[in-house]
Amino acid sequence: MIRLHNVERSYPLGRGQLFYVLRDIDLDISQGDFVSVMGPSGAGKSTLLHILGMHDHGWTGEYFFDETATHHLKAKERASLRNEKIGFVFQQYHLLDDLTVYENLDIPLSYRHYSKSERTALVGDALDRFQIVGKKDLYPRQLSGGQQQLVGVARAIIAQPKLLLADEPTGNLHSSQGEEIMKLFRKLNEEGMTIVQVTHSEKNASYGKRIVQLRDGWIV
Amino acid sequence: MLNDIRFAFRLLFKSPGFTLVAIAALALSVGANTAIFSAVNSLLLRPLPVEDIDRLVYSIALREGFDPFGSSLIEYAAYRDRSHSFVSSGVAAQRSFNLTGHDDPERVRGATVMATYLTTLGVKPALGRTFTADENLPGGPAVTLIGYEFWQRHYGGRVGVLGEPLNLEGRSYNIVGVMPRGFDLPGAAEVWLPFQANIDSLPLVEQAASNYEIAARLKPGVALKQADAELKAIARQLEGEYPEFRHGWSVKVISLRQQLLGDLEGRVHKALFALMGGVGFLLLICCANVANLQLARGFGRERELALRRALGASRGRLVRQLFTESMLLAVLGGISGLLLAYWLVPALAMLNPIQGISFAAFLRHFEIDGRVLSFALVVSLVTGVIFGLLPALKGAGTHELMLRIKQGDQRSGGAASRQWLNSLIVAEIAIAMTLLVSGGLIVQSFQRLQHVDLGFNPENLLTLKMILPESKYSEYRQRVAFNDQMLDRIKNLSGVVSAGTTTNIPLEREITYDARFEVEGRVPSNPNEVLITSHRIVSPDYLKTLDATLMSGRFIDGNDRAGNLPVVVISEELARQAWPGQNPLGKRLKRVRAGQTFPSMTVVGVVKNVKEDLFNYRINRPVWYVPYAQVENSFPVNLIVRAKGNPTFLTTAVREAIRAIDPDQPVSDVMTMNTNLSDVLVTERFSAVLMAALAASGLLLASIGLYGVMAYSVSQRTSEIGVRVALGAQPRHVFQLIMGHGMKLTLLGVTIGLLAAWSATRLLVSLLFELSACDATTFSAITLLLGFVGLVACYLPARSAMHLDPVEALRYE
Ligand SMILES: Nc1ncnc2c1ncn2[C@@H]1O[C@H](COP(=O)(O)OP(=O)(O)O)[C@@H](O)[C@H]1O
Ligand SMILES: [Mg+2]
Repeated sequence: MIRLHNVERSYPLGRGQLFYVLRDIDLDISQGDFVSVMGPSGAGKSTLLHILGMHDHGWTGEYFFDETATHHLKAKERASLRNEKIGFVFQQYHLLDDLTVYENLDIPLSYRHYSKSERTALVGDALDRFQIVGKKDLYPRQLSGGQQQLVGVARAIIAQPKLLLADEPTGNLHSSQGEEIMKLFRKLNEEGMTIVQVTHSEKNASYGKRIVQLRDGWIV
Repeated sequence: MLNDIRFAFRLLFKSPGFTLVAIAALALSVGANTAIFSAVNSLLLRPLPVEDIDRLVYSIALREGFDPFGSSLIEYAAYRDRSHSFVSSGVAAQRSFNLTGHDDPERVRGATVMATYLTTLGVKPALGRTFTADENLPGGPAVTLIGYEFWQRHYGGRVGVLGEPLNLEGRSYNIVGVMPRGFDLPGAAEVWLPFQANIDSLPLVEQAASNYEIAARLKPGVALKQADAELKAIARQLEGEYPEFRHGWSVKVISLRQQLLGDLEGRVHKALFALMGGVGFLLLICCANVANLQLARGFGRERELALRRALGASRGRLVRQLFTESMLLAVLGGISGLLLAYWLVPALAMLNPIQGISFAAFLRHFEIDGRVLSFALVVSLVTGVIFGLLPALKGAGTHELMLRIKQGDQRSGGAASRQWLNSLIVAEIAIAMTLLVSGGLIVQSFQRLQHVDLGFNPENLLTLKMILPESKYSEYRQRVAFNDQMLDRIKNLSGVVSAGTTTNIPLEREITYDARFEVEGRVPSNPNEVLITSHRIVSPDYLKTLDATLMSGRFIDGNDRAGNLPVVVISEELARQAWPGQNPLGKRLKRVRAGQTFPSMTVVGVVKNVKEDLFNYRINRPVWYVPYAQVENSFPVNLIVRAKGNPTFLTTAVREAIRAIDPDQPVSDVMTMNTNLSDVLVTERFSAVLMAALAASGLLLASIGLYGVMAYSVSQRTSEIGVRVALGAQPRHVFQLIMGHGMKLTLLGVTIGLLAAWSATRLLVSLLFELSACDATTFSAITLLLGFVGLVACYLPARSAMHLDPVEALRYE
């Protein structure tokens, strides 16, 4: 499903010098895979995830998504491809403070072409499926961290993406809450969702099917 | 404390952008406040060279309850003898004199005054003495007082001037005193003669002439209102006692200060109050703006402040620190504002808002004196308190300390604090709205007043004034001959289209002449009816020179001479009052005055209404024009010349033409009609220009404020926007998000502003002309304008939000 070839990402250091965050990345991820990206802080994990998530386009190399050469796409086309195929979970949850759980779930739908009734139905399904119907009118600050991340995951998949990207999704959670999320990921993966997560924990990585180790921008 | 100040300075230097914007906004509003206050101070507060000006009053005779005239001796004597409101009172009559024996013959402004007029005003001579009671008696000595500036100009301030003769109107007067510097009441007098008459023994006609000015000093404890009521009651008695002279007349007492401003209706006061309100509003906008900047900056500093508290600073200590910063800003803004005011004040004085001519040295020179300085200081400090207190209290607030430290600047400014920014900006927009609507109404009224149909064409007209001395022109035919000769010569000058003479230049700031009249064959429906018209005695070509519009009949012509049929040309308004719905041509009317009979005059022409009278600019007053050759009079001769081009080019030629006929004849007030007209709407122009400037400044500040809040809100919502983009938001969604927020604030502000403006403009009613205080066009135009400005102010922040890179926005992960 995903093929990266010779992807490199650098930032200018000043005086014409470049600082390479990612070097010569070749990576294949097939449909239904569950990859855990591991490595020390600063290794470039988040950078890789943002490239996969098509948030970043300051890189060089080739990135095929379902045979689409995303490196040839225009920003607009890439954005709509992303909207259609990719969901994102953040370490910080990043629920919108001023919106209720229900409204947070509705946000991704409001940015896509869904009708009012489809949106109601999809949000309803997600609330059901994640067993948070009772919390739908609460604000994020009224939820525990684990509950917030649950909403975060629900929000990431509500628009039915094929690929779920998660950057340290359990980084801010207690281990028991983290386990919840990991079980949820495994379930989603079993249902066919392709998942790439960044994690520091061997235990979390064990939920996945394989591990990609990054060190100083290189895959090792 | 010193440490606080030093630290505050360092902080201000650290963010020069913020500091400059804040100081500029403060300077603008403190400067505007100070400048307007200096006008208020000069016009309404500053002491003048008379004693305790605020206890002095002036009475205006009112016909039909609204039409203002000078006072008569009948009134004066009655008020003096019957009223209990005054310590003392006196009368004066403005006159001008031909002064000879000094270089060129000169026309000087002067007055005849009662000794009590000067003592009532409490004026102390700079040299010598004022008049004694004896000098006021009929047949008293020929003595005169001279003004300080006159003394300097003609005698170089020589002390030995006392006892020297002064030649006025061909008669010699002994100088007995020099008035103090700046004193020139009544009018702009430079020489004073004693009023030498016994009022009771004067013929009634003379007693009834409304040529006088009454000044009176209120008894301690008596309010102006009481005096006004008392004189009104006396005026009613006079109506019964002298029906033929005083019928239909009442009186209004105003403060002398108001009279000096030439402000019979109190418009100057109202305009000044409106302007003070306007600058006050501007100051509020500015306070809200700077408070917002401070708040926003405070959020950015939450980490620093939380750390300070963690290190042991008490809340009070932090409030003090933050407050010191605000006060420092206020003081810097205040100083800049004061500098701005030093530059603005002379400009305001040039825009002169008053019609009065007296005390020009005081009333036309606004200055920054101690009172104005204290005002500027207080305004700056109050401003500092207003915009500094809220951010200080918020900034030093008791919010969850450790959380702030841990989170750093990640989620600075919670929803509650953001709410403050939003409320302040809404308030700002609402105030700007009020200011703009008020400004819009006042400017439009001014424009309407400016475009009032004058009934004549003021372009290319040169005007000048002459008084033919009785001594030389004792017989009326001599005066007519002078007139005819002069007009003959002037018409033949090259560059002259036509020329004429009249007894009052339209809309001039002088005593104007009026006449009571009767319509032949008409029984007044109301026995109290008094018909009064502006009375103009004119040469044949006068109306043609003015370019007045003839509606029917003809203008006065060269055949309308003594011995021929007495004729009159009337204005439409006079026709409407005398013969409503009928053709006035051929009808007859005549002037009435007790003790005199006048011939019936036949109406030969009707002209479109001409604005003749300054104090009736807003209404149409009847006017009639009678031929100079048919009506003997000793009124001034005012020459009006229509030029082919720029009328000032004719000045020398016209002066020479007059000198050729009579080398001793002084002329004065040579000016263009447009110069004369520019004096008519001074108060309105002053308020229009200033209100427009204030409204524009308010709009500018409010839009900068809105821009600032939106830009800050975007910077604050960076991570939220990043998340939204990561969740699929397209640039246009982000754009809509920010614009939506900004427009919501704008619309809320506009809505509140509409309500505020709707109630505020009620107070402006008396300043408006042919315009409703809730004029729908103005309200909607200003709404659109603010909406548009709101869009523009939000556009840039919204655009920058649109281009936010989600990776950057989420980078701290
Ligand atoms: N916008 C940027 N400018 C410069 N350096 C960056 C930028 N973004 C990331 N980096 C650097 O790239 C490296 C990898 O970052 P990241 O991918 O966030 O690491 P991690 O593996 O901890 O997620 C780090 O050293 C980081 O400082
Ligand atoms: Mg990372």
